[in-house]
Amino acid sequence: MMMKKQTMYFRMITSSLIRRRSRMIVALLAVAIGATILSGLVTIYYDVPRQMGQEFRSYGANLIFTPAGDETSFTMEAVRKATDFIPNNDIMGIAPYRYETVKINEQPFTAAGVIMDEVKKTSPYWFVSGQWPQNDGEALIGQEVSDYIRLSPGDMFTVTGANSVGDSFSRDFTVLGIVQTGGIEEAFLFVSLSDLEEMAGDKGRLDVVECSVSASQAELDDIVRRIDENVEEVTPRLVKRVTRSEGAVLAKLQALVYLVTTIALLLTMICVATTMMAVVAERRKEIGLKKALGAANRSIVMEFLGEGLFLGGLGGLLGALFGFAFAQTVSLNVFGRSISFQPRLIPASMAISIIITGLACLLPVRSATDVDPAIVLRGE
Amino acid sequence: MSLLLELKDVSKIYGSVKALRNVNLEVSRGEWLAIMGPSGSGKSTMMNIIGCMDKPSNGSVTLDGVDISKENSKSLTNIRRDKIGLIFQQFHLINYLTALENVMVAQYYHSMPDEKEALRALERVGLGDRAKHLPSQLSGGEQQRVCIARALINYPTLILADEPTGNLDEANESVVLDIFKRLHKEGSAIIVVTHDPEVADEAQRTVVLEHGRVARIVQGKNNAMGCDA
Amino acid sequence: MFWRMVKGALFRQKGKMLMIAFTVALGASLAAAMLNVMLDVGDKVNQELKAYGANINVMPKGASLLDDLYGVAEDSGASDKYLKESELGDIKTIFWAFNIVDFAPYLNARVKLNSGSQEIKLVGTWFKRRLDLPTGESLETGMINMKSWWDVSGDWLTDQDENAAMMGAVVAERNDVKVGDEITVETRGRMKRLTVKGVFNAGSDEDERIYIPLRVAQELMDRDGFVSGAEVSALTTPDNELSRRAAQNPKSLSIKEWETWYCTAYVSAICYQIEEVITDSVAKPIRQVAESEGAILEKTQLLMFLITVLSLIGSALGISNLVTASVMERSREIGLLKAVGAHNSPISRLVLTEILVTAILGGVAGYFAGLGFAQIIGRSVFESAIDIKPMVIPLVAILTFAVTLAGSVPSIRFLLSLRPAEVLRGR
Repeated sequence: MMMKKQTMYFRMITSSLIRRRSRMIVALLAVAIGATILSGLVTIYYDVPRQMGQEFRSYGANLIFTPAGDETSFTMEAVRKATDFIPNNDIMGIAPYRYETVKINEQPFTAAGVIMDEVKKTSPYWFVSGQWPQNDGEALIGQEVSDYIRLSPGDMFTVTGANSVGDSFSRDFTVLGIVQTGGIEEAFLFVSLSDLEEMAGDKGRLDVVECSVSASQAELDDIVRRIDENVEEVTPRLVKRVTRSEGAVLAKLQALVYLVTTIALLLTMICVATTMMAVVAERRKEIGLKKALGAANRSIVMEFLGEGLFLGGLGGLLGALFGFAFAQTVSLNVFGRSISFQPRLIPASMAISIIITGLACLLPVRSATDVDPAIVLRGE
Repeated sequence: MSLLLELKDVSKIYGSVKALRNVNLEVSRGEWLAIMGPSGSGKSTMMNIIGCMDKPSNGSVTLDGVDISKENSKSLTNIRRDKIGLIFQQFHLINYLTALENVMVAQYYHSMPDEKEALRALERVGLGDRAKHLPSQLSGGEQQRVCIARALINYPTLILADEPTGNLDEANESVVLDIFKRLHKEGSAIIVVTHDPEVADEAQRTVVLEHGRVARIVQGKNNAMGCDA
Repeated sequence: MFWRMVKGALFRQKGKMLMIAFTVALGASLAAAMLNVMLDVGDKVNQELKAYGANINVMPKGASLLDDLYGVAEDSGASDKYLKESELGDIKTIFWAFNIVDFAPYLNARVKLNSGSQEIKLVGTWFKRRLDLPTGESLETGMINMKSWWDVSGDWLTDQDENAAMMGAVVAERNDVKVGDEITVETRGRMKRLTVKGVFNAGSDEDERIYIPLRVAQELMDRDGFVSGAEVSALTTPDNELSRRAAQNPKSLSIKEWETWYCTAYVSAICYQIEEVITDSVAKPIRQVAESEGAILEKTQLLMFLITVLSLIGSALGISNLVTASVMERSREIGLLKAVGAHNSPISRLVLTEILVTAILGGVAGYFAGLGFAQIIGRSVFESAIDIKPMVIPLVAILTFAVTLAGSVPSIRFLLSLRPAEVLRGR
């Protein structure tokens, strides 16, 4: 019974892998570690801008809508039209503001009508002592207002003023919280938009809308351009202080992770290669013997490459999975969000592992096949 | 009997050491030759040159009509594969392959692996029942017999054995020698490098090397068989 | 004899030992680079976050943001309070002086532009002011550093410009003013002619203001030596529970807590220290910047920490793997030593010493290579050198040592557990 050459080839390789178990595990481990670091870091590298971008949203709104042209206000309709141009997933929050001058104890103050839940999203840096209002009739007041008219959470106050047709109104509010920002908001009082509209006697007039959008500078520019072209009622403007700085800092962070990844990968790959070389170098004698038996250099190289291919492939696969597990851990720990699995990383990690192991095998095999078999065999 | 191997004025120089000096030797087909000599006399060098694993510095070596001193390393590999069966003192089996697979490796590099034939080769050396064992599960004598089976599998024109009994006890030594005798009877040419006079005695002729020269040639006790040229 | 054998192994197996040393060096360099970068990344990213501008607002005590809203005249009531310009330099003398990156004073006024009826906000400030500190040092500070995101057409002002102004894009457009045009501003009966040297787009309400050098504004308003407030950009440590309590009321802390707080660069501590040096002032953190900085800093540090941990684990496994491989390779030698009658402990000592000597050589080389890598990262990402922390040295040393031991001890034990005959007869 003649046997096919390939069958013997695979038999030799599998025997080598199975019967030299301890060495092969060492080699496999080395490859898997390398591949883990590779896929872990690459995943993090690609995920950092997205994740960090979301973190940067803690700086608050990066896009605002103001009335277009000579108009003094715009409607919620217009806002909806405009926000259609922003990809839904990227919207962190959209907070409309309407400002009216009102009086408390005959002192003038600016009252802002807002949707509290949205403000919480677009201005995560607000520090509220007490609670965020949930219902109508509840108000959030700025630190300065609170100092000025001596109100603390739980207190009631009366807001008076004149509505859009000139009739006076009066309405009671409960202070639920006091807001500190270190900025101008400390001089405002915040009530629900519906309360303010009721007091003012008209609806659908917004002064400004703050949007927090998780997107790069280029994407934001694009959004602004499209809204500008398509929605007449509002003027979109980027909050430069936020967008510019975010772009700059994010670029640095990504460059940092990039460099760190490159260096770590480089060193790990060399590490894998040296381990593979150590494992192969051990088999000089076997190479000498095969040569003595009449093996062509090519077939010896092919046999080692076959093993390398297997080790690289399996190690790469394991590494891709472990690496993803690691990246997931990092993402959950650092950002509290999970990351999506990149299936492309599996073939990439396997391919790179195979190349590295292949090259690492080739060097010592080459040097062993170049030597006369007699010399290799004689050495004890 | 025609000439199988002819060494003419062969020298080998390693750096400043002259391992072989102007050696001349002729070996006929089917002859059993022993090469003896103290350590450092050039036995191994001569064996490497005959086994196509090394080239002489000077002189010519003709094996089966081909001058191997002129060939490059690639064709040397081919000649070695086709014409020579090697047997080593340290056996040199591949430790992760079974006895049978070790024999098949030689087939694999030569032409086509054939499990049945490999098994027959093992049976010939009395190891039919040990075919599935790994080298580490075999005794020294058994390992050497696997090595012999491997050397025979491709029907070499010349069997070259380097101290084949050097690592064996007496019982195994006689088993191996019996196999050699049988091979010789079947017409194989055998060259055995040894420093064991008992092993050398079995050969038809013994070449004694000293300081890289052929000191003398002794006719063995089995001279009557085969070669009477 | 022991050392002779060690020496023999080191020099005769040069190739193998070099490979181990090389791998250890790689691992150690990775560890050294990553640890140094990790320990310094906080400071570096903090510097970068300064692009967001000031994180502390300094105002006179009793002054209020309310003046902006009423639109009342400068002279009335609460807003007529000032800080002394001469004291501003003292901000650079506080305990955390080193963390103060930039600051700029503001003197606000409302002016009528080109004799129009609408009032526009005019701000006098420093653009790039050279300050000589009482400590003998000097520094340059001002708006140009703090408003990195401004788009300026034309030029920035200098503090020496007497008759020039910068205008916000919105106010410039509304009044049809372009770079190079001349404008007049009028406040409290005084008039001044100014040339518009630059128009800026800040993407905020600053676009509705006119900026002029502080000196000119003080003259115009007759407020020599006074400023209405200052913005400070400081490197801060992210807030924690202690700093939040302190920010509410520093007096609620115990003496020990107070000392910890005062000696940590919390934004509240820096604010407190600024209030100490500037008479009748209130320093408030601008939460949008201060809070977000803290969050991002924390995330970045955690991220770097985890990446470092991964690299360290990777290089640790890599090294110990190679060491295991190279010890296993020597099974014959170990078997032989046992066969000639050596006891287990001298054999392990021998092999361990060889490997540790190699590892130490590799580790030292690797440490220095790692410093190089760290500087490459620092230079190319942050354009400044990474601070070299001495504490990395023992960390790398312990790591290298532990990893080498972890790689060699189990394999040596394994080999010793084999019978010499088995080992010698082929594995």
